[in-house]
Amino acid sequence: MAQGRKGKLNYRCPRCLMREIDMDMLYDRDKDEYYCLRCSFVGNEEEVLRLNAQFREKYRDRARRITDF
Amino acid sequence: MTFYVTIIHRPEMVPEYLQKGAEQGKREDLTRQEVIQESLDIFRTQQQIAHENGLRTTIQMTYASLFNEEAVALAKEHHEKYGDEIGSTFLGIQCQQFREKFKSKELAIWLFSMEDKRRIVDEVMGKFYEVFGFYPTSTGSYYMDAELVNYIKERYPMIKVAVATCWEEGPKAYHNANNSWYTLHDGSPWNPWIPSKRNIHCPASDEEDDIGIVAIPHLSRDLMAVFDGPGSYYGTHPQNILRGMVYEGREIPYFMNLVDQYRAQAKYNRGYAYNMMFVGPGWMSKSGRWEADYDFLLKAYKDGMAYYGQLKKEGKAQDVTMSEFAEIYRRDRPYTRPECALWKDILYGSKRQQFWYVDPWMRVCLDMNQGGAMIDLRPYAAKLIRPCGVGTKCLQDASYPFLVQSLYRAGYFTHYAGEGAVKSCKFGHQDEVVDLCTCRTLASFSEEGDTRIVTLDPVEIEFADFTIRVQSVFRFAEGTGEIEMIRRIIETTDPQAEVTIDEYITACYGTTEYPEDLTGVKLTVTGTSGTESIEYAYKCREAEVAGVTLAEAIVPQVDTRLTMRTDATDAIGYFREGFAFSPMYTIGIRKTVVGKGELRTWLKVEKAS
Ligand SMILES: [Zn+2]
Repeated sequence: MAQGRKGKLNYRCPRCLMREIDMDMLYDRDKDEYYCLRCSFVGNEEEVLRLNAQFREKYRDRARRITDF
Repeated sequence: MTFYVTIIHRPEMVPEYLQKGAEQGKREDLTRQEVIQESLDIFRTQQQIAHENGLRTTIQMTYASLFNEEAVALAKEHHEKYGDEIGSTFLGIQCQQFREKFKSKELAIWLFSMEDKRRIVDEVMGKFYEVFGFYPTSTGSYYMDAELVNYIKERYPMIKVAVATCWEEGPKAYHNANNSWYTLHDGSPWNPWIPSKRNIHCPASDEEDDIGIVAIPHLSRDLMAVFDGPGSYYGTHPQNILRGMVYEGREIPYFMNLVDQYRAQAKYNRGYAYNMMFVGPGWMSKSGRWEADYDFLLKAYKDGMAYYGQLKKEGKAQDVTMSEFAEIYRRDRPYTRPECALWKDILYGSKRQQFWYVDPWMRVCLDMNQGGAMIDLRPYAAKLIRPCGVGTKCLQDASYPFLVQSLYRAGYFTHYAGEGAVKSCKFGHQDEVVDLCTCRTLASFSEEGDTRIVTLDPVEIEFADFTIRVQSVFRFAEGTGEIEMIRRIIETTDPQAEVTIDEYITACYGTTEYPEDLTGVKLTVTGTSGTESIEYAYKCREAEVAGVTLAEAIVPQVDTRLTMRTDATDAIGYFREGFAFSPMYTIGIRKTVVGKGELRTWLKVEKAS
């Protein structure tokens, strides 16, 4: 297996992100998966995007325009 | 009301974010030359977006860009054509010429030794003069220590403004960056201020203390989200918001919500409000960044700038360059005037409010989710001389120390033992005690002459046999360094019931989450019954006096005297030493009332020496 490389969009580890650590992942071409050097996360792009969507859920007002101040 | 907006662009040749990749050269997908060309392209794009929206910018020339003819020509052209200001910055110093001259890969100006800082300032200013034929009047970095700015002012007195700190980019930013980003400088104001000669974080007290520049923060941050989260997620920097993933689809209403909340602060600051936007080219990399492709990065920037442009067209914003802003700011800014912010949550869907306050004596945050508890207190009155950089004791730790920081030091909730740092008030009846930290409420702001008043909506406290309604009022009298706190029982279901009102502050000192040695902190209470005093030795000692006139903590480690007094003649004053598993000290004033009644206390911070 060759060395891990930067993925196309510099995906951060979604598990580390949930504890507010920005940790770029490495991409394993042979297995088509990303993995984290810090925690033990491993997953393909779909899994990363699924968890990122989950991360955003905490921002209940992320899609709301607020004008009343 | 005037809302000022400063847009800053910097032609960074090799952004620090790309530095490592660029140094590795051809082994990665970009060559060094390609990085430089891409950076310039992005800088040009950013400038174009601002101009298309009718906004002028401040172009902060990096040292590296002074060697790039294209960057220099662009700056000159845009100054002529659009009225952009050409300033300087100490970000982006790294380049071949720098490394040959200074033999260093250091990228943070505040972390060099003082001797190097002087040499670099002279080199950067000299090169700027050589290229443009004049000296800049604006400069900046992520952090500019007072020693650095004092030197700049001495040699280059024309400098009138600098980007001087990133608000609350301390341990949180460090953790967020996998413990590798050394911007450890918590503790400054969030909006522009005139800094003290002694410490850049502190607003100057008077002309003698005035460092001679106006400081502006690096970005306008979300005052609630950034106090408990990464600074680089929640600010007027569209790509920061992408980093924080505060979007749905490709829409980012949060950016406009944030800008509007800043605009609304004019209500608490005599009609004045401010924003700054500062995005380096590295954040708009063609290869994408933070899970966002270039198209999304570009769209975010365009949307953000378009909103400022729209506000300007509607007469709701005024775009000013850094130096123009400095002049406007100084025109109407008495040294003692505080900056206030009644901030509300715009992210998580709560109704939570916090009140931030800054003046030359202190920085304070009150949390309405905790009944108005004080969760941050920085003793600016101490004006601590605290140099940073190589060869100093603080080295990277450039934060201004706190006495209270409830997130770093627990606050109300601790795990089973001990106490956390917070200032609050407890209401007691026999063996029942309720802390206002458990009473969520909201606040409103008003003014009486030069006193700013924060009035909290009354809260209910239920004891086993009766209920009281309590109102808290905080009064900040300008120029006194004191906060008056009124705790008033406005209703009770049992007019005969005795209630104790116990106003306390549990504090420590420090700049990080980790405890510092409190040995030698002096706790004293004085009253009609006498005086009690100890030097802190982790021995769990307590003392109280009747007819308290003063409760005091002197913290020599941060040269601060913290006191509480009351106008009640029949109150008890006390102090409480901690122990090693609870490294805190407490001073407080307690009074018993029957039925309704109030306790009025004043909190003051002063320089101890
Ligand atoms: Zn991870």
